[in-house]
Amino acid sequence: MKTMNRVLRSGTILAGAITATLGAMSIAAAEDVTLTVWDWKSGDPTTTAYYDKVKADFEAAHPGTTVKFVMQPHDQYYTLLGTAIAASKGPDVVLVHGGSQAKERIAALTNLSDKVADIKARVAGWDEFAGPDGSPYAVPISIQGLAVYYNKELYKKAGLDPEKTPKTWAELKEVCEKLKATEITCFALGNKEGYGADFFYSSAAANALTPEQQAAWTAGDLKWSSPEIKAIVQAWVDTQKDGWYAEGANSTAKFMDEYQSFERSENANTIGLLSDVAHWKEFDEFLEPQNVGVYVMPPVTASVNQTLKMPLAGGIGYGVTKFSPHQDLAIALAKSFADTPAMQIFFEAAGAVPSDTAVDTSKVESPSAKVVLGSLSNGAGLLHNNTSTAETEEWHRQSQMLFTGETTVDKAVARLDEVQAQAKKK
Amino acid sequence: MTETLPATATKRRKATAAAHADPGSRSVERFAYLFVLPALALVVVFRIVPLIWGLGYSFTDYDGMSAPRFVGLDNYIGIAHDPVFLDSLINMLILLATLPIWIGLPLVLAILIHQGVPGGKLYRAVYFFPAVLSSVIVGAIFNVLLRYDGSFNLFLKALGFSAVDWLGNSSTALASLIAVQLWSTFGMSLLIFLAGLSTVPSDMLEAAKLDGAKLTQTWWYIVIPSIRPIIEFAAVVTTIGMLTSMFGLIYVLTAGGPGTSTILPEFLIWLEQGKMNRPGYASAISMVLFLMMAGLAAIQIRIMSRNADI
Repeated sequence: MKTMNRVLRSGTILAGAITATLGAMSIAAAEDVTLTVWDWKSGDPTTTAYYDKVKADFEAAHPGTTVKFVMQPHDQYYTLLGTAIAASKGPDVVLVHGGSQAKERIAALTNLSDKVADIKARVAGWDEFAGPDGSPYAVPISIQGLAVYYNKELYKKAGLDPEKTPKTWAELKEVCEKLKATEITCFALGNKEGYGADFFYSSAAANALTPEQQAAWTAGDLKWSSPEIKAIVQAWVDTQKDGWYAEGANSTAKFMDEYQSFERSENANTIGLLSDVAHWKEFDEFLEPQNVGVYVMPPVTASVNQTLKMPLAGGIGYGVTKFSPHQDLAIALAKSFADTPAMQIFFEAAGAVPSDTAVDTSKVESPSAKVVLGSLSNGAGLLHNNTSTAETEEWHRQSQMLFTGETTVDKAVARLDEVQAQAKKK
Repeated sequence: MTETLPATATKRRKATAAAHADPGSRSVERFAYLFVLPALALVVVFRIVPLIWGLGYSFTDYDGMSAPRFVGLDNYIGIAHDPVFLDSLINMLILLATLPIWIGLPLVLAILIHQGVPGGKLYRAVYFFPAVLSSVIVGAIFNVLLRYDGSFNLFLKALGFSAVDWLGNSSTALASLIAVQLWSTFGMSLLIFLAGLSTVPSDMLEAAKLDGAKLTQTWWYIVIPSIRPIIEFAAVVTTIGMLTSMFGLIYVLTAGGPGTSTILPEFLIWLEQGKMNRPGYASAISMVLFLMMAGLAAIQIRIMSRNADI
């Protein structure tokens, strides 16, 4: 009996010890949370300081939480994200492009409408991350847009006034003719993946379409064969025939072969971005700030705006995956990417145009940056951001075939109309 | 060939029946199944199950996010009317039509090396070297060589010819892609042929020489028939490789363009799944590609089996 009692007592003590240990372990596990963030930027040397700041501030404010950045290859990003979403496993917070890339993934993202009221007024660019009901699904961190950057030295060589930028299509044609006469290629163009064609039609459409027409485009009601869009497609062909671009555009990658050729002063103009890459800060570094100019691409047809507006949109933003088990923490982290001290670093180090309107941009000295920053208050829509992926892919193909002469403008817009109608049905 | 085929078959059947009757043999057989089991499990888990899943998805509108909805044959009907898919099939047929070059070139080079051309060992190493490079590296190298302002065009210009946009022109892009893939993979077929050639009896070659056979006659009537099963094996492996291993090169060199000129079904599957968020539709294309490859492989294996019986 004594032995039995001893055994029972030992067993009870052992069981108690095990329970206590497991309990302690589970408490520790509950406290230590790792938030995984997927992006394609955190390994970029120009953004290191920004990401370090976000991580340090967030971890300090949330003891026991670790922020883990996983940088994915940009060109494979949405394939990998699609796999993670399909498996409902992986990142808690994800970086997405504004526009169709974000909107097509809204079903997998958490609705942030009642979580971002405190930063809604300070941060701009929400529309690009909004669902059909207008609810935000990601916190924008940058403003993206398209601008034509030009090389003032080459303008001077062609006898052009480097401070006078074209305001109409006729003036732009004149600029290109003068450059061509001096054997300077007017525009750098890389269309291997079709991105050159995206930038062209978005830039040309910005001041050609009224806000109502832009909305009709987003809804799939303004057709490719409409006079406004068809004129742009025709201009795409005409500019190539008129020798605006160097040979081999279809085999030149936009990122970064096109921009590298511009930075080597091999051509006078390029349609670049406002944030991320191929922007004012990058061109300033290669060509010297005083040698870089910037203007808004004039529309092919008459402008619908009195002064040309820069095509703008919310650039990139952080959303929270619905399957993240740490919703509150993940939402707090997504918001922290738009904190003003971090955004200030993002602007200064990476040259990104921040979504945070409280960032102090007054100290910037770059002449082209001043033009870009001065255009932010009144921008036009960025058309290709609101085009379905199916149409975008088809436009990439058609734009290349228009250059090789395999198709005509009529056939191309007819095919694009078909794809647009199919995309709308879905 | 002293024995007739039916006689051989009867002998085999008797041997099998005897083996089944012997309890010792049965335990050996069971033991053999045990060895096959791990490989079988891997094939089932990583090949058969995904294939069945893929088949299931191909009847849905799965977009990778929402729950899949059964749409019957819609995806397959869509494929039949999809101009991009039809173009990819045409590209695939053009690619398959070049199979004789993929077999002929390494075969001729292998025979020459086997015949002892000076520097044969060096050539063997040089020809095989590209086969160890990944397609992305090969793509990056040829991107520099074949781009409009690349080395190849500079060379052509130096010779007085005009430059060609090898990768940006629909009439040259697919041919360029095939040439690069051929360059990077023919070394493997060459090695297979060299191994096969080493089994050709030297006394037969000597006898042919003594009989006054010309070099081409020796090749045509002795060497090639002797290694016919090897050639057929290389043809099956190369065909499968052509249809499933071009992705990396397409991705780096042309991204499928210009237009649809370098899109092959495997690239289209990635495009639909990865870029267009249509895994259901991509699964249907995968099923069609699988059936086509299975059909091709079956024909080739049938030819190989027929020759093995001779």
